[in-house]
Amino acid sequence: MSEDAGALAGLRVLDLSTYRGHLAARLLADLGADVIKVEPPAGDIARRIGPFVDDRPHRDRSLFFWFYNLNKRSLTLDIENPRGRELFLDLARAADVVVESFAPGEMARMGLGWDELHRLNPALVMLSIAPFGQTGPYRDFEADDTVLTALSGMLYVNGYPGRQPVRPLGLQAYHSAAYYGAIAAMCALLARDRDAVGQWVDLSMQEATAAAVEHVAGSYFGQNFVEPRRGTLHWSRFFRVARCRDGYVMHCTLGDWTSLIEWVKSEGKAQDLADPRWEDIGYRAEHAEHLFDVLDEWVKDYECKELLERAQALRQPYAIVQGPEAMLEDEQLAARGFFVEVEHPELGRKFRYPGAPYLFNGTPWRVRRRPPLLGEHTGEILRDDLGLEPAEIAALYAQGIV
Amino acid sequence: MGSLALEGVRVLDFTWVVAGPVATRILADNGAEVVKIERKVPPPLGDRKRGLQCDLHRNKLSLALNMGHPRGLEIALDLVRKSDIVIDNFSARVMRQWRMDYESLCRVKPDIICVSMSGFGHTGPRSNFVSYGPTLQALTGYTRLMTDIDGEPAGYGYSYSDMAGGFTGALAALAALWNRRRTGRGQFVDLSQLEAVAALIGPCLLDITVNGRVPEPPLYNSQEAPAAPHGVYRCRALDGDDDRWLAIAVRSEGEWNRFVETIGSPAWASEPKFRTLYLRMRNRTELDANITRWTSQRRAEDAMAALQKARVPAGVVSNGADICERDPQLKARGFWPAVARADGSLTRVSGVPFKLSGGSGSVRTIAPEVGENNDYVLGELLGMSPVKRAELVAAGVVWP
Repeated sequence: MSEDAGALAGLRVLDLSTYRGHLAARLLADLGADVIKVEPPAGDIARRIGPFVDDRPHRDRSLFFWFYNLNKRSLTLDIENPRGRELFLDLARAADVVVESFAPGEMARMGLGWDELHRLNPALVMLSIAPFGQTGPYRDFEADDTVLTALSGMLYVNGYPGRQPVRPLGLQAYHSAAYYGAIAAMCALLARDRDAVGQWVDLSMQEATAAAVEHVAGSYFGQNFVEPRRGTLHWSRFFRVARCRDGYVMHCTLGDWTSLIEWVKSEGKAQDLADPRWEDIGYRAEHAEHLFDVLDEWVKDYECKELLERAQALRQPYAIVQGPEAMLEDEQLAARGFFVEVEHPELGRKFRYPGAPYLFNGTPWRVRRRPPLLGEHTGEILRDDLGLEPAEIAALYAQGIV
Repeated sequence: MGSLALEGVRVLDFTWVVAGPVATRILADNGAEVVKIERKVPPPLGDRKRGLQCDLHRNKLSLALNMGHPRGLEIALDLVRKSDIVIDNFSARVMRQWRMDYESLCRVKPDIICVSMSGFGHTGPRSNFVSYGPTLQALTGYTRLMTDIDGEPAGYGYSYSDMAGGFTGALAALAALWNRRRTGRGQFVDLSQLEAVAALIGPCLLDITVNGRVPEPPLYNSQEAPAAPHGVYRCRALDGDDDRWLAIAVRSEGEWNRFVETIGSPAWASEPKFRTLYLRMRNRTELDANITRWTSQRRAEDAMAALQKARVPAGVVSNGADICERDPQLKARGFWPAVARADGSLTRVSGVPFKLSGGSGSVRTIAPEVGENNDYVLGELLGMSPVKRAELVAAGVVWP
């Protein structure tokens, strides 16, 4: 196996999921697995979700679909059709992982439940991603990302006291579930090295999202304290947002206190913060509201950039509160090649994608293929992976099964 | 129940604060033996036997080792020889200063896997900068775009990026392990927490790079398939607490019809301005005001139950007591397991969010105090006699 094939080269994944599970399969694809996105002949529903390239809606122009399906191949297959189901089972026979996010019980109804797949291919790992998992009183409840952030505790703690809670940017319930899903699949695959049999993974998105909240359960079980919303004051009480002349910055009182307070003092803005008792980190946390009120008064006439340059020179971990577009100009991200160019020959254009969060020195992460056009690899999969004859393939197309 | 998935895997854990410990918690829950290398005076983060610190470090072992002492470094290298994975979340220079960087570790254990979870990565102009979750969230757009309805930045009330960095690190470690079992080779994974959290707003970033669009705060506009109503709605107080809200998402005509029926088919719902999804999105301020008239008369739990009975997505905006005590689903699935202290008393922590049919991850042991497992690690893993261990303590290499 060649070195640049990715850490998971040789792994075969069938992705039957909707966008609840797309990222889980993409994470495996990014790491080198061969992931086949199995789509209904009309296309995955994510292809209809915007934004679209140049705002022109089209199944092959959805940026939403693109992000979640980079590095995958696309097979259109009607798995509800008996012949389509057979073809899926043929693929499952040679696969390592099936990822699905249907409502609990739906796979079994289609004759593709764990018992069937396990009998067919005992080494197969099946990753089932459902809003509330495969068991329990909420098993059949409906949820979107927002409802899941609500029921997991992720939503309640963001925003201002007494006002409406503030929802995360991006679909972070789905993303948390996707990461835990990929982790769970890897755990099952590593156990398979020992046991030689696959496992069924029952992943609850509600639980995965609850496991992506830092402090709420700890405060509840540890201090019997229900964490509130605190505006921009971080629960640790060492960070708060301040308004500058031209924008916002994030204060941080975990850096070297002496150099920070010398700076503030030199501008005549330290008020009572020059008192030595503020050198104690616990005292700073305890009196964070007053501390930040004084610091807010100090930074309010600064321009963000000017403040940040001086803060960095003193190694104070301040940050500009900026829009995501600023990352395109970020020299650190640029130096690491975070944004990668991906060629879309069908459009005659190249686009910049956010890339890998990790660099593997032995098996580099890379973009192997752009997101697939609908059914782009149907022919090659039927021919090369399933060994079908051209006449059979033509018949499948004619019957609308692929 | 079968065996745990990662039984037999040993992890040497140099991580601290949150992001790194989240990564090693995932490995420990699933059966890896995680040995924390700690300073005698731990950072003042709180009690290990309850709450967040217990949650982060359960299932792990702790060795209090003086890495500033040459013999401390030797012991760390002896442990590397017996480990599969070494994880840290320092900025790039710390492990190098100890000569515990990947190249050095390869010399004592050629197939070692090293995962370094620094804030900015090991290369680039800011590789040695210290980062924190709130800083990373400010730099990547979360704080700016997660606004209150009046447009003021709010952001997360906590460090989501530490959690995201944690699960990214765990996945990287597992992928490297899978690869090593097939190739015999370890490797170095250079993870940037900044990049981990940046990657999680992918579609928004593509809209910027492809369409040149500067993103607006999404507020409660759906970020997936269009939906209206879609948002959080104030509900009746519960035991004097009026901070009660219900999240509702109505995505299709079918859901809209069932929603209207559930709330008693009020006259406003049949007005032409709410007839289609498009019109409901356009007139959402008025739509939301009408819905709040219904929710504010009801407890969030009751409104949720009524809507879910009609298969309309709805959920209580749950606080700590909701998720830890009241939520029947989390309870039914055993998501808050109890773990015993030495005196037999119990405390609860978060569970493992996935179940494996052949043996699920679990919470087996309470978090250790710093140095609690010195004897096991030095005695059983490294085969040192009690006399030798006492010598190390006397020499200030190991803290009791």
